[in-house]
Amino acid sequence: MKIDLSQFRQTFLLESADHVASMESSLLQLRSAPDDIELLNSIFRSAHSIKGGAGSFGMTQLTHFTHALENLLDRLRSAEMHATDEVINVLLQSIDTLHGLLEAEPDAEMPPEAVDLEKRIAALTPSDESPSPKEAEAAPAPREEQELHLYTVDFKPDRELFSSGTNPLVLMRNLASLGTVSCCHLHTEELPALADLDPAQCYLSWTMELASACPQAELREVFEFVEHLAEIHIHRTEAVQAAPPPPAAVQIASPEPAPAPTPVPVQESRKKPTSVPVPVQSAAPTPKAEKKTPSGGDASSIRVATEKVDRLIDLVGELVIANVMTAQMVKDFEPGSLPRLREAVAAMERSTRELHERVMSVRMLPVGTLFQRYTRTVYDIAQATGKQIRLEIKGEETEIDKSMLDLLGDPLTHLIRNAADHGIELPEVRLAAGKPVEGLIRLKAYHRSGRIVIEASDDGAGINIFRVRAKAIERGLIAADTQLSDEQIQMLIFEPGFSTQEAVSNLSGRGVGMDVVKRNVEQMHGTVSLASQPGCGSTVTIELPLTLAILEGLLVRVVDRTLVLPLLSVVETVPLRPIDIVRVAEQGEVVVIRGESVPLLRMSRFLGLPQESAEAEEAGAETTLRRLAVIVMSGQKKIGLVVDELLGQQQVVGKSLRRNLHQIDGLMGATILGDGCVAPIVDVASIGTLNLFSLQASGKATPQGAAPVRPVAAA
Amino acid sequence: MKKVLVVDDAVTMRQMVSFTLKRGGYDVIEAEHGQDALNKLQGTTVDLVITDLNMPVMDGITLIQNLRLLPTMKSKPILMLTTEGLAAKKEQGKAAGATGWVVKPFDPEKLLLTISKVLP
Repeated sequence: MKIDLSQFRQTFLLESADHVASMESSLLQLRSAPDDIELLNSIFRSAHSIKGGAGSFGMTQLTHFTHALENLLDRLRSAEMHATDEVINVLLQSIDTLHGLLEAEPDAEMPPEAVDLEKRIAALTPSDESPSPKEAEAAPAPREEQELHLYTVDFKPDRELFSSGTNPLVLMRNLASLGTVSCCHLHTEELPALADLDPAQCYLSWTMELASACPQAELREVFEFVEHLAEIHIHRTEAVQAAPPPPAAVQIASPEPAPAPTPVPVQESRKKPTSVPVPVQSAAPTPKAEKKTPSGGDASSIRVATEKVDRLIDLVGELVIANVMTAQMVKDFEPGSLPRLREAVAAMERSTRELHERVMSVRMLPVGTLFQRYTRTVYDIAQATGKQIRLEIKGEETEIDKSMLDLLGDPLTHLIRNAADHGIELPEVRLAAGKPVEGLIRLKAYHRSGRIVIEASDDGAGINIFRVRAKAIERGLIAADTQLSDEQIQMLIFEPGFSTQEAVSNLSGRGVGMDVVKRNVEQMHGTVSLASQPGCGSTVTIELPLTLAILEGLLVRVVDRTLVLPLLSVVETVPLRPIDIVRVAEQGEVVVIRGESVPLLRMSRFLGLPQESAEAEEAGAETTLRRLAVIVMSGQKKIGLVVDELLGQQQVVGKSLRRNLHQIDGLMGATILGDGCVAPIVDVASIGTLNLFSLQASGKATPQGAAPVRPVAAA
Repeated sequence: MKKVLVVDDAVTMRQMVSFTLKRGGYDVIEAEHGQDALNKLQGTTVDLVITDLNMPVMDGITLIQNLRLLPTMKSKPILMLTTEGLAAKKEQGKAAGATGWVVKPFDPEKLLLTISKVLP
């Protein structure tokens, strides 16, 4: 039987990546607590686990490297060495090397920097052992010719043998399997009277004589685990040829009743083996399992807590039961059972809804895994710039959709780099400004009214409005005489091609700007905002929907179409009479609500639907009385969407349009309603960026929004 | 079918041991660390325990000591999973009451062979 373990390679790589991440975060904590034995233990365990697995998959470089690491860590945790800054730095560098080795092909060359690093690690640990001794895999002695030996084996276990869980009969059986037993004698002399007998003690011993072709070492290996618990004597009494001539006589030697400490070699012990024993098992390690195929790409996978899965299985069970019950009721239906049928359907509905939520939660991961990454980013920048920076993480348990977590990585890296590199000042500058020498960067995640909020803030210099403005003018982003509020100027840094740092530092300036942050966040239907106080620091706030896949929608009717508005962005709904609509130059139509003027967008015009009611409106017909303005928050501003009717509220599963149509500004996707109709979902965030005025100004402004209703719009 | 409890905090290692054992015709229970193992043994018993040594919450040595105090596990075989070259660990394990050991990385066939050394 060949057991192939290569299928576990992917699991191993995933698990190891987790180990490396946890090593990294522990190492960073170790800097402030270099003697924390728990931290050291956990780092050691991670290295140890990687090493253990690496060997199984023939990843020799990784085995080798982790072995060196493990040595160093072992000294640290046994307090033979101290975790100095130098040691921690070397260990942190090892993290990068580990990443590389995990991604490398199994039989790839060790990269030179890994070799160097290993040397540095070795230099830190004056070695008293040759690297990776393979005592267990020492080449077995070459098998002697098929020559039979006669062995006498004495096995006298200690009284405590049973306490090690050893069953002596198993040992004797295994020994017997190595050859042909001619005699087995059980010594019972030490067995006490029943009254004195402790059943947990071993009073017995054995002498076995057998003919075997195995070398003595192989016999001894049977007792490998009990060498410390027994007296074991193995004597080779005589060698016989593999195919011995039939002996004249066969005599079974009967041992003397008195237990002899060393068995007397029986002179006439020319026993006839009934068959030539051929050792069936070989103790030699079989060569490593077949060549492993290199991991095929990084198949995206999610690790889900078992309890989540268990609950899902429970729910499916409940659904199946409810289903059976309903089916039964439908089969034997009579009018009287209608209430019970309703009840059963309601139960099914509850389970379905919960199942839905739970399935969605499978995709949810704690944001902490991502946040932890930045401890290292901040550490590296602090090292490179000579600043003192602390990263504070809050709300790491907040869960967020896996796909969003992946998309958040780059923007957050950028924000953190910016904060550490540009935001936090040099220690002397901070001192002069009366601030603590150590700069603080804070990453925070929390839920707010059904959305996930992620804040990245620093207590650095803040954003210099004048420089931003000057830069924006220089870059041609705004005209020199443009009037902008401070907030508007700050938001300019999110514009493509904006960078205020004169000399692009090697840390932050990697060709991506804050515009990438904004673009990625908007891709997730989120919003970015910025608050900055010169001299006190800045806060970037990212707001994201809980999940991309499902949303609570407000169904509205526009002429004869049904549209879905994400309920989360709806602020209120107000009735709209023609008299309420005010036309303002440069802004178009607005409605004044409690003294605040809100720009309006007629959804019928946005969708390119016939303006059937435009004239009727002029006439002040009753139809207009039923008009409504749904006030939504698009980023920081309010917009009133003019619709004809509210149809209700419903959970909808968003489907991307992009696969079938091109991306349409103002629409995030579509959903299928209960009656089978397709309803577009309005992307409120991007509606705010549309030029409302141009949409209002002329009926011929054909927005791209026409696409879903008339799919052959200009492509 | 003989039942084996496999204790290791490293998921891959645990899965590989379990997989090998199942192929070898054993029934397998898994536990993540010593305490988890003790919890899983409540109300049930196994014929063999295979445990890693370095684990969080409760390490392998402590687990072995605890197992030997349980009436049902007092004389059952316990194998420890060790990496090569850790002779000191082996001694500690033996002193705690381990029956034998399996060297990591393990060869599946060799693992089954080792089990046959200790399991009736």
